[in-house]
Amino acid sequence: MKKIIAIVCFMITVQSLLSQININLTVAGRPPARLSDWANRRDVLTLIMGSSQAVRFDVKIKTEIKTLDGTVIGATNLNTAKTYTPLAGASTILNALDVLPLENIVFTGKHQTALLKTGKLPADNYMICVQLVRVPDYAPASAVTCKTFYLAAYQLPTLMLPSNEQELNKSIAQSAITFRWTPVVPASTTPVTYRLLVFEILENQKDVQALRSNQPLLDKNIVGTTQFIWQPQLSMMPYTAAADSLNASPQKGKKFIWTIQTLDNLGQPLNQTDGNGESMSEPKVFFVIDKNVAGKKKE
Amino acid sequence: MNKTIIVLFFLCCATSVIAQVPKVSVSGTMGISYEGYGLDRNPAGWTGYTPRRPWNQVRFNFMPNFQFGKNFSLPFNINLAALPTNFAGPYSGFIPGGPKQNFKQWMTNPVNNIAVNPKYKWAELQLGTQYLRYSELSTGDIGVFGAGFDLKPGQYRIKFFTGTSQPGINYFAGPPLPGITGAFKRNNWMFQIGKEKEDKYEVAFNFAKGKDLISSSAPPPLTIKPQEGFVISMITNVHFNKGWYVKLEGAQSVFTTDLNTASSLLIKSFEPFIKAHTATIRDYAATGSLGKKGKNFDIGISSKYFGAGFQTVGYPYLQPDRLDYTINTKLNTWKNKMNIVASLGQRVNNISNTTLKANQFIGNLNWFTQFNDKWSLNVNYNNFGFQTASGLNPYGIKNVSNDLGISPTYTWSNTKMMHLLSLSYNYSKYDERDVLTGLTTSNNTHTALLTYVPSFFTKDVTPDFSLMYFYNDVPMAKTTLATLSSGLSMPVAKKKVQLRGQLQYNLTKLNSFKSDNNLIASCSVDWKITKQFSWNTYLSTNYFKYGNSVIPAGANYLESTCRTGFQYKFDTKKNK
Repeated sequence: MKKIIAIVCFMITVQSLLSQININLTVAGRPPARLSDWANRRDVLTLIMGSSQAVRFDVKIKTEIKTLDGTVIGATNLNTAKTYTPLAGASTILNALDVLPLENIVFTGKHQTALLKTGKLPADNYMICVQLVRVPDYAPASAVTCKTFYLAAYQLPTLMLPSNEQELNKSIAQSAITFRWTPVVPASTTPVTYRLLVFEILENQKDVQALRSNQPLLDKNIVGTTQFIWQPQLSMMPYTAAADSLNASPQKGKKFIWTIQTLDNLGQPLNQTDGNGESMSEPKVFFVIDKNVAGKKKE
Repeated sequence: MNKTIIVLFFLCCATSVIAQVPKVSVSGTMGISYEGYGLDRNPAGWTGYTPRRPWNQVRFNFMPNFQFGKNFSLPFNINLAALPTNFAGPYSGFIPGGPKQNFKQWMTNPVNNIAVNPKYKWAELQLGTQYLRYSELSTGDIGVFGAGFDLKPGQYRIKFFTGTSQPGINYFAGPPLPGITGAFKRNNWMFQIGKEKEDKYEVAFNFAKGKDLISSSAPPPLTIKPQEGFVISMITNVHFNKGWYVKLEGAQSVFTTDLNTASSLLIKSFEPFIKAHTATIRDYAATGSLGKKGKNFDIGISSKYFGAGFQTVGYPYLQPDRLDYTINTKLNTWKNKMNIVASLGQRVNNISNTTLKANQFIGNLNWFTQFNDKWSLNVNYNNFGFQTASGLNPYGIKNVSNDLGISPTYTWSNTKMMHLLSLSYNYSKYDERDVLTGLTTSNNTHTALLTYVPSFFTKDVTPDFSLMYFYNDVPMAKTTLATLSSGLSMPVAKKKVQLRGQLQYNLTKLNSFKSDNNLIASCSVDWKITKQFSWNTYLSTNYFKYGNSVIPAGANYLESTCRTGFQYKFDTKKNK
């Protein structure tokens, strides 16, 4: 009798194991801060669902986002979540679009507020836990698998020198102009490249129009530092002596617009969905003027 | 295409009106200019220096303002370039030899401007490409090709404009490299309603929207996402007696950073203006300033807040998630012989805590004193500091910049001429801390400039001379730069031709490498053929020869720029 009971127990256990689905979750240690960007990149999150021949039921993906102390800050609304039919005896590969469908994830408290305002969660370490549940009773169909990740949005550099609308002395600027900017925050785990771009604003051009339509006078990649000394090798003499010329009068001198484009280690813009999508910092303009002429005119 | 027809229609109307009405005055300018660029690099095949201007470019401008009587004016603003040279933005990659732009793309390319703004009394029609600035937080940076109006009946202000800020551009990988970034077609509209009394008050509401059409480019851009944004703002400006003023603006934006994402019921839409997706964010911004402007004393406090999710299509380069506050002051004293301009401010980045909080301190001081007829002194000091917490790194970022400049000037004269001698010295120190090692790198720069400008009372020749010394010291790199420069300006041919020339020699030395030599020569000839018609020519050449700091040793290049153009100045009023 004992043998029969043991055999029955064994068979039940085996059947139970066979009807479970194995899942394997991988998450990038430092994924994009904007959660909606996860779906655009296949390397951010992958869930491999491997089921045995015995699996004959539909499942839903139950996802929870937790802080490291275990507090759940966001979870799938299973009632509206998509239903999947595992392929018996085969593996299915899913990504962030399936595992973290933002239209079905309900966040709470300050995290919900931050997400609605910014599309990002507050900078912190988080844990994502995934489990498959059966339809319709939501009974567990797989073990819970968790992975931790760190979220912090990159803030692009702020341009410091030359400051906005600063007037530089022609006699110095024609030999050297010092550019300074603040670094990307937080410091990236891989080196970022600061692409320094300087454009001349021609007559009858608006500032941003020059940036969007001219060839840059300087296009320099800089790694590891936030300063560059440019030797322009330009005659800063205005094109014409016409005093009514908008950007090229002796008093106003020449006008330039500069910006920094921040690139990741693959040479791609660091923040592709923030603002202009090109990871270009807010540009600033500066003048190169002949201070002797300007001084005389003032007198 | 319809918009193009409207523009052409107006051009025809304008021409016919001019032909019919005899009393018409015209002001403004028109002209054509050619710019040529040359670069000769040696040894052959060396690519250490890249061209930085288009090889050839022709620009045309037509900007007359036809005034019919007192009430009707017809200003044109047409600026065209023969070749696209776009580098940044969605048009980037349009280069000679690559795929051509179609007519619509050419019309809306920011390198070209085609606009006409007929105005009758308080009503202005706006047609073509317009760079309209409604307010600091709604729209202002981007040119939109379309149609709209600006009405100012009495104290009321009603403005509306709709059009396309960029057409659809297909992604193109190349060759020629770097290919074309591509763009989605973006349609914009903007509306303002308000009341204003000049120099007294202004109250207005602004609405601005832009939306990309997903199907407008095939293949679509690789890195740019289709977006949609809507912003509503309110501005209040009040000017009080004795120069006091208050300026305020508050705004809310609803922005979808990627229209390819799914619609969402969890995020509140702002219908009928914008429907929420999972990539939709909503945030606030505000600016305010308060101060007093006077003849000898100005003081002002200004503050700007941009929430982390605040984005507008009208200012695509705006940096959100920050709080700035600044105090500015200007003082003229000692019978206007002393002038002090100072500002002090702080910027806090990441107020939303979506990344590490960063603090920036910014301080500037410029102090000018005219001691007597001969002596004057200018002192300036700039400081900024930037600091963040360490985050995952052992140390936080800490950058500190200090710049001090002292510039005494001495002038003296006799019966024939006046002399100006100016010395300027600037010391700059920039410290950067490494977040992994905690070590601080100091970057020190010394700059000295001596300028001499003689002015002759009886001659028209104006020469100037300057000598500059520049030294920069960072670990592993010491750079010394010396520049000798001289300029000359003089009128000839009964003052119909203005000649100007400049010669500049630079010597650069990096560490123990052999010195680099650089000679820059430039001149301009401005010939006033008639009162209205002028011919301006500008020539510049730059020869640079490396010592042995680059491979191959002795590499050199000759860069030359030539620009010549005719300009006609309309001025019928003066003729009469």
